[in-house]
Amino acid sequence: MDFRLTEEQELLRNSVREFTQQYLEPIAGEIDEEGRYPAEVVAKLAEMDWMGIPYPQEYGGAGADYLSYCIVVEELSRACASTGIILSVHTSLASWPIFQFGTEEQKKKYLVPLCKGEKIGSFCLTEPGAGTDAAAGTTTAVLDGDEYVLNGTKHFITNGPVAGIYIVFAMTDKSKGAKGMSAFIVPREAPGLKVGKHENKMGIRASQTAEIILKDCRIPKENLLGQEGQGYRIAMQTLDGGRIGVAAQALGIAQAALDESVKYSKERVQFGKPISANQAIQWMIANMATDIAAARFLTYYAAWCKDQGLPYSKEAAMAKLFAAETASRHTSKAVQIHGGYGYIKGYKVERLMRDAKITEIYEGTSEVQRMVIAGNLLR
Amino acid sequence: MPRIITCYKWVKDEADIKVDTSSRQLTLDRVGYKISDYDRNAIEEAVRMQEQHGGSVIAVTVGPPSAKQSLKDALSRGPEEAYFINDPSFAELEPAQTAAILAAVIKGRLEYDLIICGEGSSDLYAQQVGPRLAELLGIPCATYVNKLALEGTRINVERKLDDGIEKISLPLPALVTVLPDINTPRLPGLKQVLAAGKKPVHNIGLKDLGLTCEVTLNTTGILAATMERRRLRFGAGNEDIRKVVDALLKEGVIA
Repeated sequence: MDFRLTEEQELLRNSVREFTQQYLEPIAGEIDEEGRYPAEVVAKLAEMDWMGIPYPQEYGGAGADYLSYCIVVEELSRACASTGIILSVHTSLASWPIFQFGTEEQKKKYLVPLCKGEKIGSFCLTEPGAGTDAAAGTTTAVLDGDEYVLNGTKHFITNGPVAGIYIVFAMTDKSKGAKGMSAFIVPREAPGLKVGKHENKMGIRASQTAEIILKDCRIPKENLLGQEGQGYRIAMQTLDGGRIGVAAQALGIAQAALDESVKYSKERVQFGKPISANQAIQWMIANMATDIAAARFLTYYAAWCKDQGLPYSKEAAMAKLFAAETASRHTSKAVQIHGGYGYIKGYKVERLMRDAKITEIYEGTSEVQRMVIAGNLLR
Repeated sequence: MPRIITCYKWVKDEADIKVDTSSRQLTLDRVGYKISDYDRNAIEEAVRMQEQHGGSVIAVTVGPPSAKQSLKDALSRGPEEAYFINDPSFAELEPAQTAAILAAVIKGRLEYDLIICGEGSSDLYAQQVGPRLAELLGIPCATYVNKLALEGTRINVERKLDDGIEKISLPLPALVTVLPDINTPRLPGLKQVLAAGKKPVHNIGLKDLGLTCEVTLNTTGILAATMERRRLRFGAGNEDIRKVVDALLKEGVIA
């Protein structure tokens, strides 16, 4: 057993830290406030070869492992959770299904520009009436000659307004329920694809979330991903990997809460001594650090399982569940440590607390993670 | 096309050093290491020059065997190969010794047109290795360099001195020591990091050099400097100046 990262992973972590200090920390508060997509930072992520970390270099990726990708999401999220999820959705939810289920032609045409960061990826599963119950989706795809015709509305779509390539799930045979769902690669320029309402979110405000409206949207037949009827399976397997990314994001948010709490509690003087001299504060910080260490081990272990070709569905669910709840609980404690200041815009912990909540909700709520874990244990 | 050697030192990261406030002892057990700050500028400048003019860049470092972990870091920044001169006795070298070791390796082993070093190291900042190495190799040297341009068989440099900028031209081969404002070192991309491990590293031990290296520098103790804050507050009015002066007199800052 070896708890050490490789030299490459350590160097990568150092580069991301320097990167965030230089490019992300100075703007993270501002882009949150404005709800602005940090296009200039995303372009730099591509220059750093971080837009296709776990994919082979022949497809434009960096050819590194999933753990390296987690380290990048974690460190980016430590500075800006929005940027963390932009990369995570792009890498885990949009690029991975093409890499895993795509034909050689599909990989060349769609995976390469994603990995190079020339196009941003997005994943369109959720619908107004189909969240956790994804198979209840009503978007349809009908084969018409050499084309599929897609109709329906997807919502809460991360990267929706900025993406160039969408993975869209639609029913090809409604009568078969989950087994009637199929996955498609839909380019932005496909006729009939429209970006609808932008959501005004509580947190991760710099990541763009919107409706994707498909109205007689026509795509070539060869854009079917996998086989007809495989869509639900593709979606669930994709989300397994995505959850490791969200766990890494939650981990970064929680780590930032700890960093801020340590710093502030040593500086803030009340009753003639820094508040860090009080046991009440010390215990909060000790609990925070311990939970974060546990979350990190769970997250890295899930990534390691994926890298080793071992089953990782349960491990990913555990990592996401624990890291997300750690982030939520301890960002709230971090605000507590900061007192009134922590409740004010401009203090980082205020943003962290808002950003943390979503990690308990998207890519499977905490309740869904418990279902997945129990399902694995009790079958 | 210039053949460039760039030298770097693997040093403790001062950001990780903690101080025990009561004893003033330094806590070093969780300290990380890094390429000395200005040496990163030296490597960057070498790589930029190669991008502009072609040629080659070799990174050279002297240190204990544990400095092996610096190699991928250095190589990910652009040099195509590295010379790792190491021996357990190299943990606390004096600048004169480091320069002698570098000179012994470079003479006869490496062909070069230009050697770029950082102005001084992040730990000792003795500013000696560069000029001493130039002297031992018998080549001209320019220190405090914040601008560098290759012109034929000469190098034009700007030296940033206390009282102004000095522009000089040196015939190659030459050695320069660079300041941090010469460039902003780029962050290595992930592909560069992954490729670093595949680049050649030449290991050279003390025996290969026919040198002996006695430790002459002994650290007998290090204590942190402390700053005690009085947390006194003063108003900004004219009448408050007297209070400030009184406080400074009382503390013995002024007499």
